[in-house]
Amino acid sequence: MSFIKLAAKNLLHRPARTSLTVIGVALAVAVAVSLMGFNIGYRQSISASIDKLGFQIMIMAKGCPYEAATMMLKGGSGLLYLPDSALKEIRRDPEIDSITPVFIGLARKESVSIRDDADSAFLIISGIDRPSFEVMKPWLGFSQGKGYEGGRWFADDSVDEVVMGYEAAEFEQRKVGDTIYISITPDGEVEPQMHQYKVVGVLERTGTQDDGTVFMPISTAQKVFNRQNQLTIIGIKLKEFTGYAFHEFEQRWNKIPEVQVVGLQQVKTTMISLVETAQTMIAAVAVIAIIVAIIGVINSILMSIFERTGEIGIMKAIGATRSDIFQLIWLETFFLCLAGGVVGSLASLAGSHLVESALRLLIDIGVRGSIVQISAKIIISAIIASSATGLFAGLYPAWRASSMSPIAAIREGE
Amino acid sequence: MIDSTNNTPLISARGLKRYYHRGSEVVKAVDGIDLDIQRGEMVSILGPSGSGKTTLMNMLSGLDAPDDGSLTINGREVARLGEDELTEVRRGVLGFIFQKFHLLPTLSVRENVELPLLFLHRKPDEKKTVEILEKVGLQDRAGHLPREFSGGQMQRVAIARALITEPLLLIADEPTGNLDKANGEATFAIFRSLVEKQGMTILVTTHNTSLGSLSDRVITLEDGRIASDERNQL
Repeated sequence: MSFIKLAAKNLLHRPARTSLTVIGVALAVAVAVSLMGFNIGYRQSISASIDKLGFQIMIMAKGCPYEAATMMLKGGSGLLYLPDSALKEIRRDPEIDSITPVFIGLARKESVSIRDDADSAFLIISGIDRPSFEVMKPWLGFSQGKGYEGGRWFADDSVDEVVMGYEAAEFEQRKVGDTIYISITPDGEVEPQMHQYKVVGVLERTGTQDDGTVFMPISTAQKVFNRQNQLTIIGIKLKEFTGYAFHEFEQRWNKIPEVQVVGLQQVKTTMISLVETAQTMIAAVAVIAIIVAIIGVINSILMSIFERTGEIGIMKAIGATRSDIFQLIWLETFFLCLAGGVVGSLASLAGSHLVESALRLLIDIGVRGSIVQISAKIIISAIIASSATGLFAGLYPAWRASSMSPIAAIREGE
Repeated sequence: MIDSTNNTPLISARGLKRYYHRGSEVVKAVDGIDLDIQRGEMVSILGPSGSGKTTLMNMLSGLDAPDDGSLTINGREVARLGEDELTEVRRGVLGFIFQKFHLLPTLSVRENVELPLLFLHRKPDEKKTVEILEKVGLQDRAGHLPREFSGGQMQRVAIARALITEPLLLIADEPTGNLDKANGEATFAIFRSLVEKQGMTILVTTHNTSLGSLSDRVITLEDGRIASDERNQL
C-alpha cells in the first residue's frame, strides 16, 4: 500500500463523481488545447499561405489593406483594379529581382449543383503572365495519374485553354482534356456571357488559394472581363529584401496616385490581427472553463472529505500526521486534474478536425490548410499545466482535511 | 514483544480534568481523575452513558488534551502537547479499536490491517500480516472487502489493524457495542489472550459488566469521577 494507491482507490470508490469531475477538467483542457492549437496553426497557416504567394511585395489599387490581404488569400468580392501602365513604370525599378502581373476576376459557374452554397457558386479566375508567374512560384507542378496525364500550361496566347487548381478541379469533377463552362459578366454589361474552355492541366495541391483557382492567360482574362489594360495586383520580389529596402521601395512607388504598396509581412500582421479578437473571446471562454473546472475539482474533493470525515479521523488516530493527510488529499486532486488533462488533450487531438470545421464556419479565416495544429509540445504543456492546477486546487481541501482534530473527526463521522 | 521488566506505569494521570461548555452550562466530563495503568494489565472502564468513559479514554490515548492535570504515556508528559506531538506519541505505541470498527471501505482486509504501517513509513511484512490475521481467525479472507463481513468479523479486522504496529497499549472504546453476545465474548477472549501470551496492556470501555469481569481490573466511573477501582481474581 502506498499513498498513491490509497488516493487512487479513494477516487475509484466514487466512480460517478470522479468521472464527472474529470470530464469537467477535460472539457476545460480541450478548449485550452484547441485554442493553443488554433493560435499556432493559424499563424503558421497564414505565414505558409503568404509565403506561397511567391512574392514579398504587392502593388495594388488603393483601398483597404485588410481587403487586399484577404483578397489575395481567399478571393473576395469588390475587386479593385489598377492600370497596367503601373507595371511598365515599376518594372524599371533596379531593385526588382522578378515581377509578375495578376488579373483576378469572379465568374459564375455554368451550373449550380446541390452542393453549392452562395459562395461556391463563384469561381476565382486568375489571369497570369505564365513565364513570370512560374518564376515566382517554381514549386507549382501538375497532378499526375489517371485522367491527369499530359498536364501542361496553356499557350501564352490561348483563348480557350485553362489550368485548374487541385481543389477547383476536384470540386468541378474535371480532368485533363475535359471542358468547363464559365459564365462571366463583362465590365459594363448586365448579361453574363458563356465561355467554353478546355482543361489542359490540373495543378498539384499547394495548400494555398491557388488550389481553388482557374488560371488562364492574363490577356484572355482581361478580355473576357472587359478590363483590358487593367490589373488586380503586381507581385514583386526584390533582389535583397530587408525592412529598409521595403521602406525605400514603398517611398518610391507610393507616389503613383492609384496604387498602394503592401508588404507581405504587413499582410501577415493584418491577417493575424483580424482573428485576434476572436481568439481573445475564445481565450476568455477557456479561462472561464478552467475556473469552473477548478471550482468543480475543489467542490468534489471537499464533498469527498466531508463524507470521509470519520475515515480521516481514524487515519489520524492510527498514526497519520497532518502532512500524511495533506499529501493524500493533494494526490487525489492531482490525479483528478492529471486525468482531466490527459483526457482533454486526447479529446482535443481527436476532435481537432471538428474544431477546425467549426472555426471555419464561425470565423472568416481567410487561409487554406490546417489551422488547428496540436503538437506534442502543446499536449505535454497542457498536461503539466492541468496537473499544476490540480496541485493548486488541492491546497485548500488538503489543508482543511489535515487540520481536522482526530477525535472531532471520528465523532462527526459517526 | 512487550518489555515486562519496566515497572513504571504505562499511563499515569493526576488530577485529569476535561470540561465542556454547553451554552452557559459547564459539563464536567472528567473531573479530577488520578489513575495508573500498569504494563501488561487489562483494565475495563465501566459506567453509564455520560459518565465520562469515552472522554477519559480519548485523553488517555492522546487523542484529546486535558484542560487540567498531568498525563504521562510511556514516560512522556503529554498533557500540553500539540496535535503533531500527540500523533508522534500515539504512533507505534498505541493501537485503537472503535465501536464502529471504522475500516476503510475501499481497502481489502489485508490493506486495512497494514494501513498504520503506511503512516509509520514501514514496509509491510507479509508473514507478520498473516500471523496477525491468524490470531483473529481471518487468514483466509485477507483479500475480501469490509462490506463482505459481519460486525464481529469487522471488529476482528480492526483488532488486527491495531496489532500490526506491535503497540504497547491497546485502546478499545466500546469494542463490543455493536456486537452480539457471542462476538462480544470472542473479542474479549482475543484481548485476554493478547494480555496473557504477549503481555500487552489493554484499556477497554464497556457497558457490559460481565465482559468487564474478564479484565484484571475494573474501574467504574460516575459523573466524571472514579467511583470504584477493583481487581478481579481470574
